[in-house]
Amino acid sequence: MSVVIEVLFGGLNALRDYIALHVLTCLIPAFLLAGGIVTFVRREVIIGYLGAAARKLSSFGIAAGGSFFVAACSCTVIPVSSGLYHGGAGVGAAFILLWVAPAANILALVYTGQILGTEMVIARLISALLMSFAVGFVMAYVFYREERNRASTIQMSGGPLMSRKSIVLLLLLVAWLLAPNYIVTHGPYWQKVVLWAIGLGIIAVYAWKVIDRDKIKAWLKETLWFMRIIFPLLLVGVFIVGIIGALLPQEWIETWLGGAGLRQSFLATMIGAVTYFATMTEAPFVDTLMNLGMGKGPALALLLTGPGISLPNWLAIARVFGVKKALVYIPTIIVLGTLVGWVAGYILQ
Amino acid sequence: MIIEVCGPGCPRCHQTKENVRKALKELGLKDGEDALVSEVKDPKMISARGVMFTPALIINGVKVCEGKIPEPKEITEWLRERK
Repeated sequence: MSVVIEVLFGGLNALRDYIALHVLTCLIPAFLLAGGIVTFVRREVIIGYLGAAARKLSSFGIAAGGSFFVAACSCTVIPVSSGLYHGGAGVGAAFILLWVAPAANILALVYTGQILGTEMVIARLISALLMSFAVGFVMAYVFYREERNRASTIQMSGGPLMSRKSIVLLLLLVAWLLAPNYIVTHGPYWQKVVLWAIGLGIIAVYAWKVIDRDKIKAWLKETLWFMRIIFPLLLVGVFIVGIIGALLPQEWIETWLGGAGLRQSFLATMIGAVTYFATMTEAPFVDTLMNLGMGKGPALALLLTGPGISLPNWLAIARVFGVKKALVYIPTIIVLGTLVGWVAGYILQ
Repeated sequence: MIIEVCGPGCPRCHQTKENVRKALKELGLKDGEDALVSEVKDPKMISARGVMFTPALIINGVKVCEGKIPEPKEITEWLRERK
């Protein structure tokens, strides 16, 4: 009985710490940024470029760069990537998008930085990009024959990616999100809150003066949607992580996920590749495991493959792109994830 | 009138369908008689309709909106134009 209570307390404690430290200064800005990206970035322009670049190598770069803004989690990215592929864009570019959007979108990156620090976020960004090029290359190479017979029907949509006014707004949001946590690294929490409030004031004034009322309304509505969908998942995720943290013996984690070995990386990759992590939930999960002794390399592998792929996502990919492509894509990701975790484990030590 | 709501079945797609219902009610149209509302959930079928960003709304084969939840007011407008 007392064990059960202890475990539940572990979960509740994690939840309390999380709410106290993250909701105000971290989550609210992150959701506003995500809502802003959905509202202000014209995603059809990115897709248009990809269609036009078709099977040229430059499509790899556009796909990887554009993915930061296209979607936030592995469920919303499947229709985009599928539309891209069936519209005639190269198979390499379509799978790059499918990988980078969940593995390293701007929301997840910023959040990883808040929780796990700058080193891990840079490692996550670089390895997600390296993996994406490798995946794109493998897919384009394996399905080379098929590729020759497809033509692109995607229309270029003219105009800029976003207006200058909204670029400023998005940059302000990013600055607001980062400032409290990077300027006040050691001070008490209230200093962060003060900085946060000043930032909020600046953004509110800027938006009110410069952005259309209709756009502001749409932006806040999108933000609310992100909160309604992701916030409950995050709370449940943090609670479960707290319980896991209380349940798992430290020696167990140190043996199986500690250090920088190939076996540890593979295990972390497999945990990530099978389990469904809603976007952002991977960061507190990895944080808990790292506190219990997980090595940096395996942590990175889990950060990447956790949100990147999952069992439900395997099935969806097989249905949309065909079993053959799923059978090439998923093992490629698993091999790459393991390698990245292994190598990064030695570099980051 | 054939109305299709494209989306994998996420909360945003349900909201879109809900707003379509509201718009139909506003115009006094009945689902199943004056209009046929259906959901397109298969990603392949969604792609076949030229949709990339979900949720998307298609009225009589024409894509009127994608990547956002349309307001009932907007939907009423689109329905009126095509009645």
